[in-house]
Amino acid sequence: MKRREFLQSTSLLSAAALFPASLLAPEARAANTRRFPKPLQPEMDGEVKVFRLFVDIYQQEVVPGFKFHTLAFNNQVPGPEIRVKRGDKVRVIFKNKTELNHTIHWHGMHVPWRMDGVPYVTQMPVMPGQEFVYEFEAEPQGTHFYHCHWGTLLHMQSGMYGSLIVEEPDDPIRKRFPYQREYTLIYSAHDSNFIRNELNSMLERMKERMYLMKNGRFDKRRFAVFNTKEEFVQAVKDGYLPPYVISRRSRAELPQPNWFTVNGKSYPMTPNIYIKTGENIRLRLINAGTEEHYLHLHGHDFWQVCDDGLPVPQPWQRNTLRLSPGKTLDIIIEGKNRGIWTFHDHDTRRVTNNGLYPGGNLLALVYEDLPAEETELNMMARKMGLPNLPIVALDE
Amino acid sequence: MKSIKIFLWVLAFGLIVLSQRAWAQVTPEFQIGARGVVSFNTDVANHKATSAVNDFSDSGLLVGFRQKMYNKFRGQLVIGFQFPDADSDLGQLFFHQTFVKLEDRTNIIKLGRSRVRSSLIEFPTLRDDDALPFTDVLNPFSNGQNSEDNQYGNVAEYAHVFKQRYWVRIHGEHFTETPIPPETSETDFSLNAIGFSLQYRVPRTQLWNRPFLQQIGIGFNNFLTDRPGYSGQWDRALKNVVVSTILNLRPDPVYFWDFRAQVIYNFGFDEITAVKEYAELTRARSFAGLASLRYLYRKLERPALQIAVSAGYKTFPDLKTASSQFQLVGNTFYRLGDNFDVALQVQYKQFSGDLKNLYGENQVRFQVGLVYAIDHAWNRQFDDRDSLLNLEHGYIP
Ligand SMILES: [Cu+2]
Repeated sequence: MKRREFLQSTSLLSAAALFPASLLAPEARAANTRRFPKPLQPEMDGEVKVFRLFVDIYQQEVVPGFKFHTLAFNNQVPGPEIRVKRGDKVRVIFKNKTELNHTIHWHGMHVPWRMDGVPYVTQMPVMPGQEFVYEFEAEPQGTHFYHCHWGTLLHMQSGMYGSLIVEEPDDPIRKRFPYQREYTLIYSAHDSNFIRNELNSMLERMKERMYLMKNGRFDKRRFAVFNTKEEFVQAVKDGYLPPYVISRRSRAELPQPNWFTVNGKSYPMTPNIYIKTGENIRLRLINAGTEEHYLHLHGHDFWQVCDDGLPVPQPWQRNTLRLSPGKTLDIIIEGKNRGIWTFHDHDTRRVTNNGLYPGGNLLALVYEDLPAEETELNMMARKMGLPNLPIVALDE
Repeated sequence: MKSIKIFLWVLAFGLIVLSQRAWAQVTPEFQIGARGVVSFNTDVANHKATSAVNDFSDSGLLVGFRQKMYNKFRGQLVIGFQFPDADSDLGQLFFHQTFVKLEDRTNIIKLGRSRVRSSLIEFPTLRDDDALPFTDVLNPFSNGQNSEDNQYGNVAEYAHVFKQRYWVRIHGEHFTETPIPPETSETDFSLNAIGFSLQYRVPRTQLWNRPFLQQIGIGFNNFLTDRPGYSGQWDRALKNVVVSTILNLRPDPVYFWDFRAQVIYNFGFDEITAVKEYAELTRARSFAGLASLRYLYRKLERPALQIAVSAGYKTFPDLKTASSQFQLVGNTFYRLGDNFDVALQVQYKQFSGDLKNLYGENQVRFQVGLVYAIDHAWNRQFDDRDSLLNLEHGYIP
């Protein structure tokens, strides 16, 4: 056995001895896996990959002790990951199990326009109990996402988003930076008070509307829907008051996110990103929220390789990037500096849980080959019953 | 040794910082309820008309604070005042609400000055006391000067909610006792009433779920009166039974019709065979019924016009002279803007027997008014028991 192989096998077998047991224990690893979007398995119908998505109201635990009602695809926040090859024929059967309206928009995808999921522009909303079938060819390659496009401000931060990864058979990124492991990280920002108030009021209004709909009494003004702009302008001249005039809320109540999540969780429940010395890993970063995030990695310069899913002509190195709402960016991290390193928003308001630091979208890049002795703490810490780093600490 | 000392210092300092933080960071939910009712009244009694330019009684302000407790309970404090009726002797302002409340999903504890449980449901009248002899069990400790005596008191109440819709309530009150001269104010605030009620009630948010039966309830009110000639507490107590219901005749979101009715049976004291004063009126055996029919037109999902007619009849079977009272209330509210209404109300009252001597034969009152009522909360941090999310999608404490 060569020395190198020997080292590899021992490091695998005795990982727990080398490393803080808390981070590498099988249960911890399994729990960490669950903090990434779960791939959705398609059924095949001929050459078409058929995916089934439903939306229902679901309680998401962002951190222990804090839950909120969400709108979730397949009872997951984010929704399951749809992963296909470029050119695949895709069918998504979408079932609405809520009493609200929804659609699905395929963000960044070149779908036929009637499949774009914009209510009243490309389709009627998918109403309570209804099903809608989306069909398209997976194009273009890269990191994309899907989200609800009805009442987008509310429905997206309520949890209706998920990753859509289109694999390129001849991926130039993998060629230049050979990698085995990749991680999807979906960022969002939630105003839990706005979500609760608006979901409640929307549910109340929809009960009333569905009562009328069932009796075949669709009133355009009541539902605030018009055939043309002219019809709408005329309605206002005739005394119709649009919702923004009746003014449902005052300005101070515009959403102000107070919870910041990665894959639906806030620190300390955010996922760990595992890496080994000498390894390249790929991170697919998606911003499905309303806030801009300035993501900074400690101790490394990573390569930014894709923008909106497409490979950039010249990957560049940096340690902080700006992830705007609606944007996806892919980065490659080279395992060059053994340790435990944080990767977080440098607008540190977003590294809070409800305004209290630390929390939010803070997560850790963890080297699996970190020797245990490097994580040891001093005498005082041991007296406090704290043997190794990292420690979950919630106090400022 | 030194490191331990430092550690203890750090710990102590940390605890101080932590405790201050915790105190500073709990900003409560802040609630405001305000109601302004101003009307121009014209009364016609015995063919003579009198008018009042500005009747603003029943206007008031409520301020509330609410926050989460360390367990699953929420704590609340409400303080409020009202402008009493012009002919009351309560002064310019009357603090009708000052209570604290602790509640979780199914338990509610309320202590302080508040609305007494003298009725099970509310009726569509311009002011809360417009049909008081029919809407409320009357306070036998009052001389009848202040209608507020019947509506507000010192309350200790526990309620439990089963399956979101079944309410069991046990309450003990101190109802205001009109001081007997030479006393000028109350000195005894002990418990002088106990009661309990059972109710089925559809949460407001589920109005469209259950089309017909909205509420049905029964309540028992017992006043711990001092009845001359009787020693046992049960015999001395003045007992009342209240039964109520609300039915959605037509639960249509645009053209909405509902019906509500409440009957109050006062077992009374059978030795009272004539009514010459309020104390006798409240203690004589009586049967009162009130029913309302309400039509609500809702435009663009908000109320636009409400028309309601209510009729009440009350009879006193034990009185030597056949005595009864009858009341008709018709009103309409037209909405000018969010929470702001123009109101018109006509009331007709008729009295016979002993009541005629107290109140005259009949009375007509015409009222034109403006009503502005708001109820708003800032800094909201948690959901209510009756929200659709909590009712239908799992309760989050
Ligand atoms: Cu939606």
